[in-house]
Parts: sequence; C-alpha cells; structure tokens
Amino acid sequence: MPLPAPPIPDPKRAVLATEDWIEYRTGYPTLVRKFLFRKVPHTGWFHTLGSSLLTVFILQATTGILLAMSYDPSPAGAYQSIRYITDDQTFGWLIRGMHKWGASVMVILLFLHMGRTFFYGAYKYPREMTWLTGSLIFISVMGMGLTGYLLVWDQRAYWASVVAININGTAPVLGPFISKFLLSGPVFNYLTISRFYALHMLAIPSAIVALIFVHMWLIVKLGVTPWPSRPVEGEVDR
Amino acid sequence: MADTPAGSHAHAHTSPEAPSSAVTRSQFLTLSSVGLGAAIGAVIGVPAVAYVLAPVTEESTFEPVYLGTTDSFPAAPQGQFKPIAAQYIETKAEPATSAGLAWVVNTGKTDTDWLSTDAQFIVFSNRCMHLGCPVLGTGVGFQCPCHGGAYDTEGKRIAGPPIRPLDRFQWEIKNSNELWITQRWSVDFVNGKLTYFPVKMPGQPVHTPGPFGDTVPDILYPNVTYTHGPVPKVQ
Repeated sequence: MPLPAPPIPDPKRAVLATEDWIEYRTGYPTLVRKFLFRKVPHTGWFHTLGSSLLTVFILQATTGILLAMSYDPSPAGAYQSIRYITDDQTFGWLIRGMHKWGASVMVILLFLHMGRTFFYGAYKYPREMTWLTGSLIFISVMGMGLTGYLLVWDQRAYWASVVAININGTAPVLGPFISKFLLSGPVFNYLTISRFYALHMLAIPSAIVALIFVHMWLIVKLGVTPWPSRPVEGEVDR
Repeated sequence: MADTPAGSHAHAHTSPEAPSSAVTRSQFLTLSSVGLGAAIGAVIGVPAVAYVLAPVTEESTFEPVYLGTTDSFPAAPQGQFKPIAAQYIETKAEPATSAGLAWVVNTGKTDTDWLSTDAQFIVFSNRCMHLGCPVLGTGVGFQCPCHGGAYDTEGKRIAGPPIRPLDRFQWEIKNSNELWITQRWSVDFVNGKLTYFPVKMPGQPVHTPGPFGDTVPDILYPNVTYTHGPVPKVQ
C-alpha cells in the first residue's frame, strides 16, 4: 500500500509561522508594522526631508566606521592614513568621498528640514519636544562638522580648527575654558586630535543616535504634521 | 492601644497618633536606593568629569628656544622694514603640533636688554590676534591671510578685525651671538605706551578702554596660556 504523498510545503505559511514565532517572543513585528503602516496626512516632497536625513546619517555612520578602520588619529600619522585611504585602499576614495560629501549634504538637508518644520508651524503644540530634540540634533551635527574637519589634518583642517577653537575662546567668562577643553590643554598639542576624534566618532554620534530615537518616538506618537491650513469639510485626515 | 509601643510596625499606617511625616519602609528603601545609586554614580562620574575637564585650567610652560645666530637677522637698510622669519619648535617632544614662527626685526640699534627702547631686536609672534592664523611679514608691517587683519611695524593693528597688537617674545643673547626667545607676552598700547600682559588667546582683550581696563579682561577672560613670572614693565 503506497504511503500518502507528503504535504506540499507552503512558503507563505512558513514565513507566517516564523513571524509568529518572533511575535510571541519579542513583539517586534507588531512594532515594525505600527511604525511603518501608521496613518499620515496628505504629504509632499517636503515631508521626505526627515527620512532623507536619517538615511544620510546611517550612510555617514557606515562610511565613518569603515574610515575608522584605516585612520590613524595621531599628529604624525593622520595625514598619511588619509592619503592611504584616498590613494591606495580599494574604494577608499569612494568611502571617504561619500563621508566628506555626505557631511555637507547632511547639513544642507538639516537646514531644509528645519525650515520646513518652521514654515509649516510644526514646532507648535503638541510638538514642542520634537522641535527641541531636533534642535539638539542640529547642535550635535554642527559639532560633528567641527570635530570632523580637523581629522583630515592638512593645512586647511589645522587652521580652520585653530580659528574655530579661538572663536569659542572669545565668549566671555566660559570661552577660554571651552577652548582649552577643545584643545585638551593650553595650546594646540598631541591630544587635540585624539580629543576631536573621540568626540567625532564616539561621544557625539551616541548622542545623535539617542536623540534620533526620542525624535522618532515623538513623531510616531504625535503623528506627522499636516499642512498648515484650515480643515476642509469632508476631509478626515487633517 | 495603650499597650502598643509607639511607632510599632503594626500601627505605622493605621494609628492616628503616628506622625504624618514619618518615613515609611517603602519610602526609606526608595530613598536609600536612589542615594546609594547616586553615590555609586558619583564614584565613577566625578573622576570621569575631572578627567575630561582637567585641561581647562592647565597652563603651559614656555621653554627657551634658540632662533639662530644674531648675524642671521641683519638690520634692514635705512628706512625699510624687513622682518625675518625664524621657525622653531616650541615643545621638542611634539614637533608635529608645536611648530611656531617668530618674526625677528633687527632695529639697527645695539642694546641687548630686550626691554630697552634701544633694543637690538623686536621678536614678534606670527599669531594673528583676531583668531590665530599665521601673519606674514611685509614691507610695511604684518598681514594676515585669513580675514584681512593688518599690523604696522610695531605690531599695532591698522586694519581688519584683530583686537590687540601682535604678541612679542622676550629674548636674550646667549654665548655672545645666539638669539634665544625665553618667554611669550601679550602686549597692548595703554595710553600710547607699550605694556606687557600675560598671554591670552587670540580674540581675547588684555586691556580695555576706561578706568577698569586692567581688571575687566581678567574677569571676562580669566584664563592665561603660559605660566609666567613677574610681568615686565617698560620704563
């Protein structure tokens, strides 16, 4: 007597079973679904600036990690290691170029995103905290620009950083202490580049990641800001 | 009721005599946990903050630097101004970050006392007093490439954003013909008179107009760069 044919495996059921397995143990599928498939008002291209920023930040983090694998944050070796990355390493020119241009793109997008938020009135009740966390991200990104600029360690990087540090020094009372904090001493020294490196790749990015989580949570909780206009009869999503 | 000792556990919540401000067991444990947590945090946090902030009060020590023989800094022809660049390393152990440049002006006079009005040399720092870019010596003084600061032959600002004259180096001649710089000073012209001050960073005034000109900058910019002895006075 022939055995019954084994059931044909159903890939859809296999996927769903896996998802259920994860769902029961972590709840992540629900979290992701609620995050991705939430209701949003009528949006336009201006609403894509925030997620563009997030994308550029992820690119900066990725290329930054790759660059850190070949970078030597010391006065004697920094410039040579940058030369090596740019000229000799496989696709080093691409990774460094992405990081360099990505930095500018991020600042530009940040200003556009901030402008969109401002002109849409999206900073108003109940989204004040979203604006404030965004402002902290803005300051952090400026800090990334300042600390990253020195790491190239060419003449422009060096003198631009000297000027930036001295600008901090001109603030009354606290200024001189801030500049010595940035210099890691009373004058430009061997530790300055290490300090900028640590701030650039550890301290400030951690702060940005934490702030992004808070920022995103508030966006999900409060919803995307609709266009600033009077409600229209019959439209429900405003 | 009368038999129960005051404040006993059984009556802590129910007795009307119990003082309302009494700390309950749960409050005590919460406070203890927070307090202990804060103490543990401080044990790690205080050294960490001190580690990061220690440089904010540090001062540097200026080690004497040899610039060259006195012959290598000849006087310019009569009526001309020709500062001569002298490169040096301020901290021998850190050549990559402490390279400096002094502009040596041979005045054609002969006094080897650096404070004398007839001093043989004036040694200017090349650090622009706007924001610290390196100035270039020219036929009429000094010029900064970054933001257009310009100085005359005495290091006094004549144009652009610098807020005080160029720093000067204290110098001496050792072994009859070796020019050494031994300390750095910030300067300003107070009532037209050259006056020395402890070194502050570029962009920070050392003297402000008015009756409190000597104290205001020290309140607003309390930090100096170099540990120094008595501030020299020009007679």
